[in-house]
Amino acid sequence: MNTRQVAKGDRAFFAVSTAAAFITMFLVFGVLIFLSIKSWSTFSAQGTAFVTGSTWDNTTEGGTFQIWPMLVGTVLVSILGLIIAVPASIAVAFFIEYVAPPKVSRIATSLIDLLAALPSVVIGIWGIFVLSPVAATWSQSLSGTLSFIPFFRNEFSNAEGAPFIAAWTIAVMIIPIITSVSREVMGRVDKDLISAATALGSTNFSNMRRIVIPTAKSGILGGILLGLGRALGETVAIFFVLNLVFEVNFFHILEPKGGNVASLIIAKFGEATPEELNALMAAGVVLFILTLVVNMIATSIVQRSEKRMAS
Amino acid sequence: MMENTVQLLERPAGATPWKTRSQNFRIWIAAASILPAALSYLVYLNAGLSGAAILLIVFLPLQLLGAAIAAAFTRGRRGVADSQLSVLVLFATSFVAIMLGSIVFSIISWGLKAVSPHFIYQNNVYVTPTTSLEYGGAGHALIGSLLVVGLATLIAVPLGLAVAVYLTETKGRFKGPVRFLAQSMSGLPSIVAGLFVYALFIATGTANLSGWLGSLALSLLMLPTVVRMSEEVLKLVPGDLRSAALALGAPQRRTFFQVVMPTAKAGLITAVLLGIARVVGETAPLLLTTRLMSETSINPFYGDLATLPTFIFSNLTAGFDTGRARAWAAAFLLLAVVGLIFGATRALTTQKVK
Repeated sequence: MNTRQVAKGDRAFFAVSTAAAFITMFLVFGVLIFLSIKSWSTFSAQGTAFVTGSTWDNTTEGGTFQIWPMLVGTVLVSILGLIIAVPASIAVAFFIEYVAPPKVSRIATSLIDLLAALPSVVIGIWGIFVLSPVAATWSQSLSGTLSFIPFFRNEFSNAEGAPFIAAWTIAVMIIPIITSVSREVMGRVDKDLISAATALGSTNFSNMRRIVIPTAKSGILGGILLGLGRALGETVAIFFVLNLVFEVNFFHILEPKGGNVASLIIAKFGEATPEELNALMAAGVVLFILTLVVNMIATSIVQRSEKRMAS
Repeated sequence: MMENTVQLLERPAGATPWKTRSQNFRIWIAAASILPAALSYLVYLNAGLSGAAILLIVFLPLQLLGAAIAAAFTRGRRGVADSQLSVLVLFATSFVAIMLGSIVFSIISWGLKAVSPHFIYQNNVYVTPTTSLEYGGAGHALIGSLLVVGLATLIAVPLGLAVAVYLTETKGRFKGPVRFLAQSMSGLPSIVAGLFVYALFIATGTANLSGWLGSLALSLLMLPTVVRMSEEVLKLVPGDLRSAALALGAPQRRTFFQVVMPTAKAGLITAVLLGIARVVGETAPLLLTTRLMSETSINPFYGDLATLPTFIFSNLTAGFDTGRARAWAAAFLLLAVVGLIFGATRALTTQKVK
């Protein structure tokens, strides 16, 4: 074979892969830039009030579109979800890697991986019919006994549709994600180190505290942020279990007044006026920037910890 | 001969001193596991509290206390912290297992009530949300989902594989940024992918709502998974194989297609399947880019198209009991599809280990 021919074929091979890499690289910016251009009219018409105001009105001339309550709600539900999901996921990951017998941990690992791929609409249908009634009773006993704490006050007669319940739904969604990342990172901790510590009299607790957590810390943090990214962008499951209200609700987690940017888009999309459609795209841009920042931090943490573990 | 002798020797009973448990220790452990549960059950019978409240404010503290006392008497002060960790980990794990088990159980039990052979192959023509379950099915949605996801796979897999090639087989200068951005894209909210495709094609009037737009949105969501998984698989192929092929005079492209790819075949198929599992249930982008209909369509390039997730969504929002039953049944189908995909990946990965 002629060397020039070889070079030509290889050059095409490399050109195709490089082109694909560049397309992928520019897709992220492409989505951001294109949606921003499309929604520019909203940003210029509403100004900064788009993010800081609390009115959504498509009946007036031009309309008033502001998403502050939705943004607050998104962050509130995600953080509550993390508060539930993080300790549970770390416990499950520790259980799988260091407590359970090998057979159990193998089954649990594949189950967790399967559940991480559970479609959100399936979680949504479970959340609305199975979880909501049960969580509503939890919420009522909380508001009944602890209502002197402002967090747990509920002046409404019903408890369903509250951020509390949406947070449980989100927690169930992200527990498999955080668990599967933390489990992998914990599994990469040097086993000899743990055997050595155990031989010196270390217990499960001191192994966890002095070896596993310090080594796996940044990997677990990355997993948590990945879960947070998923929670911020979750749409359908929250749409079913959360009551969207255009009224800022910072911390009354048991009251059926919630907000969520992604669910807002689904809820308003069907009958949106042209200006409203642009506003929904603008809401999408804000959501994308939020999740992109979280994910970029997560990715850099995970990549750095992977590099350190490899060396 | 030597090997046989070695195998015949048994491990002496005292070779694992850390595994022996004294009688005293066993009694303490048994008491610490049974007493808190029994006490909590008594409280549950007598106080008018709900089961969840009992578990959290009576059983958990009692169990922690019991474990602490047992540990203090059998293993001393250092055992106490260990016992608390064990109790908390087991408590949290069983809680998660119950939650996740409840999802799978309720989908299977509700789904089996409504699912029937004709639900899998019939479409929904002449069926309203209140029509009884003897009529109609989600066959059209199943076909639609297969078409949309199949097309998304056709877009995302070659692209994702080419990116993985760039990351593993070339000396590209932008490996870091490409890997970083592809990873960050895995957090792209599905609704934003849908909005992007909507803004690009429908809002500009280039195309109407149809299946292939849904595929485009799904391929955006699938791409990061395919890139990451296939990069990891390609990295596992030994460099010696590549060097050997190149030393025999094979050009890079043939080294890849005839040596690297066949070696990594099972892993690459797994990467594709995981990508499919990631998007098969995505609802939000399909709500923005396709329109549900009740007839069967096999054309993803023109007109309305039903998919399983949008079928579930519309049956749920319609708000009738029969509609809900259909939604559960379709969720069951969706879960079965995801389960099949995972069964296939499991079979492939265990095969690889052999």
